[in-house]
Amino acid sequence: MPLAFLAVLLPTLFWDRPVETADTLRKAGIERLYVPAGQQQAWRKAGFAATAFDRAHAVQAVAPTVEYHMDVASATRVPWVDANGWRFEREPGRSFFYDAPPGSAALAAAEAFAYGVEAAIRAAPEDLAPFVHMLKFLGEIDQPRLPVMANIGVIDDGSDTMAEVLNLLARHNLLFQVIPSADPKYDLNIHNVPEAANPYEFAMKVRRDLTDEKRLLRIYGSNVVLVRLTGDASQARVHLLNYGKAGVKGLRVRLLGSYKQGKLTAFEHPGETLEDYSVQDGATEFTIPEMGAYALVDLVGGR
Amino acid sequence: MAAAAPGALAATDRKIPKYRVVSHYQAAAQPGMPGPYPGQVASVHAGNCIDPASEKPDPAVVREMMAHGMRALTGDADVRDAWARFITPADIVGIKVNCSGAPGIMSSPVVVAEIVRNLVAVGVKPDGIWIYERFEDQVESVHYDRYVPKGVHIWTAETRRGSAESYDPATYVETTFFDEDDTRSNLIRLVGSRFTKIVNVPNMKDHGAAGVTGCLKNIAYGNFSNVARSHSGSQTNTYSFIGTLASVEPLRSRTVLQVMDGLRGVWHGGPFSPNRKFRFYPKRMLFGADPVAIDRLLLDIIDDKRKAEHAISVWDRSAKYLGGDDDHRNNPNVNPFVREPGHIEYAASLGLGVYDLDKIKVASIEV
Repeated sequence: MPLAFLAVLLPTLFWDRPVETADTLRKAGIERLYVPAGQQQAWRKAGFAATAFDRAHAVQAVAPTVEYHMDVASATRVPWVDANGWRFEREPGRSFFYDAPPGSAALAAAEAFAYGVEAAIRAAPEDLAPFVHMLKFLGEIDQPRLPVMANIGVIDDGSDTMAEVLNLLARHNLLFQVIPSADPKYDLNIHNVPEAANPYEFAMKVRRDLTDEKRLLRIYGSNVVLVRLTGDASQARVHLLNYGKAGVKGLRVRLLGSYKQGKLTAFEHPGETLEDYSVQDGATEFTIPEMGAYALVDLVGGR
Repeated sequence: MAAAAPGALAATDRKIPKYRVVSHYQAAAQPGMPGPYPGQVASVHAGNCIDPASEKPDPAVVREMMAHGMRALTGDADVRDAWARFITPADIVGIKVNCSGAPGIMSSPVVVAEIVRNLVAVGVKPDGIWIYERFEDQVESVHYDRYVPKGVHIWTAETRRGSAESYDPATYVETTFFDEDDTRSNLIRLVGSRFTKIVNVPNMKDHGAAGVTGCLKNIAYGNFSNVARSHSGSQTNTYSFIGTLASVEPLRSRTVLQVMDGLRGVWHGGPFSPNRKFRFYPKRMLFGADPVAIDRLLLDIIDDKRKAEHAISVWDRSAKYLGGDDDHRNNPNVNPFVREPGHIEYAASLGLGVYDLDKIKVASIEV
């Protein structure tokens, strides 16, 4: 399917190289792209669906990746993940710009897709093939408008400390939503974070206050997979983003709620199905046999 | 002997984490641990079982040691009868080796081959024997395949570290130690789905976190995923986690025999052994069904050796001896964690065996 006709919410390549590089894009299968202001006409003449994108007005996203700190004490054996989900939650409706170094463009596309945000991704030429591969995969996924599912409502004070807290909540898969005022539908509402607070300690206190038993979603078997959850009691969609360099095997997912069936759609693993599916004690569990950068699971028949 | 201190120190008040054990397996009428011989250990020493210079074991001597040990443990005159008390021809047997210190120290392939030979002698088919360990990168240097008959499986759970695919999602221990995200440790799937019996083959090793690593640590941390999370900073939860894991069904019921390979040992720096100067040669094998009783003897073997080398006791909990991994690797008076040799007594409190030295009956044999 030509990419130009895919859903508008697909992330888009940002290309600021001269129009003489058009063949590179054609060979990669790119038909639609963002370009710096003033260059769109030249690209359109070259046969591309080109739109001007103003980087200055977009929110800068970090290149998604993982950093292993093997030299640090065992308490921090958990790798550091650079992810943008918390940023997307904090600034809904904004456009985002990724300057993606080689090896990160496909994951950036999946991340933006999972959160349904508009994103321009400046990919390296050597990254075009995996990037387009991911776009094709994402283009075949429907995008039902499902509400965000979260345990924690956050009234964002806009502070840097809060930014770090949001980052850490997302990093630990403590599902939150930024809301204008406290809402009893959440298990926990966070109003403010003391300026002097240690963000990690604060995030862990939030976890303890919430309790793991109440968490809508848990994952087991990886510490570099982050999730986004949408849906309701009758259906749910679990987005799983793997920030690690390698694939993940045997990832176990636990979702609060009883869903009769689940369907797995995993990037680079067509035809793979969920394993060891179980529904008991008010929770649904399943295993994803193997996943690459991105997988999503649609669950239906909830009660 | 280092017997005086343990009781008092093991009683140190510790906070036991809240464990949630999930398993749908039922315990056997008589669980394998401590099995039919609680508090009984056959200890076999042979001065010529290994050449310390080359570290090569003598297969003929090992065979003799094993025959003596099994006969002494069971009281049978025929070694085949002794093995038949634990294993039937229909069994699918997992041999839980320990390769965390390979190639410096591991369950010796000569010892493992002799176990395999005895299993085949009682009628188990080679195809029904699985030599297994958690990490492929630890096992590959040992080459068990060169020592055992064709058909014997050599299998590892994690071909890549951290991979969860070979663990049973329905059998696990859930707990939080240090706010880790993944709070489950799952049992190797084969333990429940394939093996009917397990023979545990640990070494005689010091351990920076657990004090020593013997039967209990090998069967516990060696059969579950995601266990390194129990250590952080200078603190380790091995005190209660080891026994808790070892008690999970079907692991407890199916682990029927303990064969501790003490041809060589590690008196400091374990469970790894990059530094040969910390290896020693007890030239001893311990046989039993009771992992606690054997590990209780191991505590003294390691601590006595450390004393002889003027190293601090495995029981020393002083903060002044805490240090980093690099220091610990080279200095026997540095601990990376406050060690928890009391994990053995704790395991006894869970019914896994006999800890009290006065109640342990040792049959000592010199070959």
